[in-house]
Amino acid sequence: MENVIEIKGLTKEFKVLNRHEGIKGSFKDLFSRDYKIVKAVDDISMNVGQGEIVGYLGPNGAGKSTTIKMMTGVLEPSSGELIVNGRVPYKERKKNCEDIGVVFGQRSQLWWALPLVESFKLLKDIYQIPDKDYKDMLDIYGTMVDLDMLLHKPVRQMSLGQRTLSDILAAFLHNPKIVFLDEPTIGLDVSMKSKIRELILELNKKKNTTVILTTHDMGDVDALCRRIVIIDKGKKLYDNDIQHLRGFFGSYRTLKIRPKEEIKLAADELEKELKDLDIKVSISDDNEWINLLVNEDKIKVLDVLSKVQSLHDIRDMQLEEISTEEVIKKIYEGGI
Amino acid sequence: MGLRKYFTLTRMGIIEALHYRLSLYVKIIGNLLYLILIYYLWKAIFHSAGTDVVNGMTFESTMVYLVLASALYGFMEMYVVWEIGRNIQKGDIVVYMLKPMEYRHYLFWELSGSLIVGFLTTVLPTFIVVAIVTHGTIPLGINLAYFVVSVALAMIINFQIDFMVGNICFFTESIWGINMMKQVIVLLLSGATIPIAFFPEAVKNVVNVLPFVAIYDSPLTILLNGNGDSAMVMEKLLIQLGWAVGLTILSHIFWKISVRQVTVNGG
Repeated sequence: MENVIEIKGLTKEFKVLNRHEGIKGSFKDLFSRDYKIVKAVDDISMNVGQGEIVGYLGPNGAGKSTTIKMMTGVLEPSSGELIVNGRVPYKERKKNCEDIGVVFGQRSQLWWALPLVESFKLLKDIYQIPDKDYKDMLDIYGTMVDLDMLLHKPVRQMSLGQRTLSDILAAFLHNPKIVFLDEPTIGLDVSMKSKIRELILELNKKKNTTVILTTHDMGDVDALCRRIVIIDKGKKLYDNDIQHLRGFFGSYRTLKIRPKEEIKLAADELEKELKDLDIKVSISDDNEWINLLVNEDKIKVLDVLSKVQSLHDIRDMQLEEISTEEVIKKIYEGGI
Repeated sequence: MGLRKYFTLTRMGIIEALHYRLSLYVKIIGNLLYLILIYYLWKAIFHSAGTDVVNGMTFESTMVYLVLASALYGFMEMYVVWEIGRNIQKGDIVVYMLKPMEYRHYLFWELSGSLIVGFLTTVLPTFIVVAIVTHGTIPLGINLAYFVVSVALAMIINFQIDFMVGNICFFTESIWGINMMKQVIVLLLSGATIPIAFFPEAVKNVVNVLPFVAIYDSPLTILLNGNGDSAMVMEKLLIQLGWAVGLTILSHIFWKISVRQVTVNGG
């Protein structure tokens, strides 16, 4: 697989003025030379191959957008190497832009007052898309969404979901090698989210487009990404498949049981009884279930179940895989 | 091939300008109110002067000058500075920087669409009305062709000044005060509110070496006195051309510096 993005030791530092408090402080700031250096991105290395969908995750302020801005050429790295489609993006920003597409979930590149088709025509001319390719792309779009309805609707009359959908279509229009999606499903309802995920997946398959996706919605990650990269405080914490992620902290599963006894009492007793086994006991939010978080590297879930069964009467039980969301939460909070 | 994308932008600018038709009507009405205001203002000025000719201009020629100036102003003031300021503050500038086209070209050509609409809806009607009402104060001849060229150059000069002022927002993060200052300076020093002829000699000498006269005074002078005096016309057009080229280069440099600010320090 050919690499479309190669990053080695990428670092971005910002000079930030140390602001002081209050009116006096604000006046002081007018003349202050008191800068501090903030490392937004700190020594990140990774390669991305053609056709991959990579989930680029991290808590707010982790440096995701800064990395994306560097990859798109809007920001210049402080140090390190960054090659996108064989070019240094910030040096050849305009050239680089021809081969990438970008969607910001909270911004639109479409013309507000005009029907979508006008924006498409403009993009066709700006990117100099040949007539045939343009038509082919619209045909492909037509099989995926209700294109006729979208094309002739002024953008400002669209729902947020339709607008996001249109923005994604616009980003793929010139058949770029890489598309960056920055929180594309933010603020959308469940069915629109899944529609947009399907669309991204299908476009990725049909055109072998590389997709770099940042999101806070683990549903997006589960549905789209085979590989995820997690960063926090500018540093890379994790870079591997999504399957490995689940085993990142050991193979956790949650055993849920509903005891016959009073739930609080049973939970307290279980906590004592299972103390030696490194099992986290908690009560579910609806006060119906006792959750036992089991590390399967240490003990089998079935062994735990039989032990619990020998001590308590159980009315009901369920077994749950730990969700991506919980793993990510652990990584963010763990702050390795 | 290369130019096509620019004309598409012009076309979209036209469609968009026509889309906001209410704003077009309001603009025309606002312009009318302004004209009534300056009519009475200058009537009072001429009345108190007690003579028919002040600074070499009669009441009628002053009015013609100012009416046309206000039409030109309504057509050329496109609030580019606001637009850039808003794009920078909201961060939408990123979207433009991710296009394989320079932001200033994108803006200029998009704007050219609304300028064409503005020309057809304000300048042309005003011109026709003034020409009819004043029975020939405006000579109709080769000066009209010069006028169109002159307006095109004025448009470029105006845009480049606005673009540079808008760029200041990259550094200050706020644009309101700067834009107010720019508007006042341009209105005063360009002849859009007071004919340049009314300025004292010393001020006139200074104003004449600034680029602002090339925006409003030059096209108007060419329109009103351009027949037969081709030496004057050529001089004014050459000066305008000089400013257009010079300011375009300057605004290009300005943009490079501003972009550097963005790419190094973040938006």
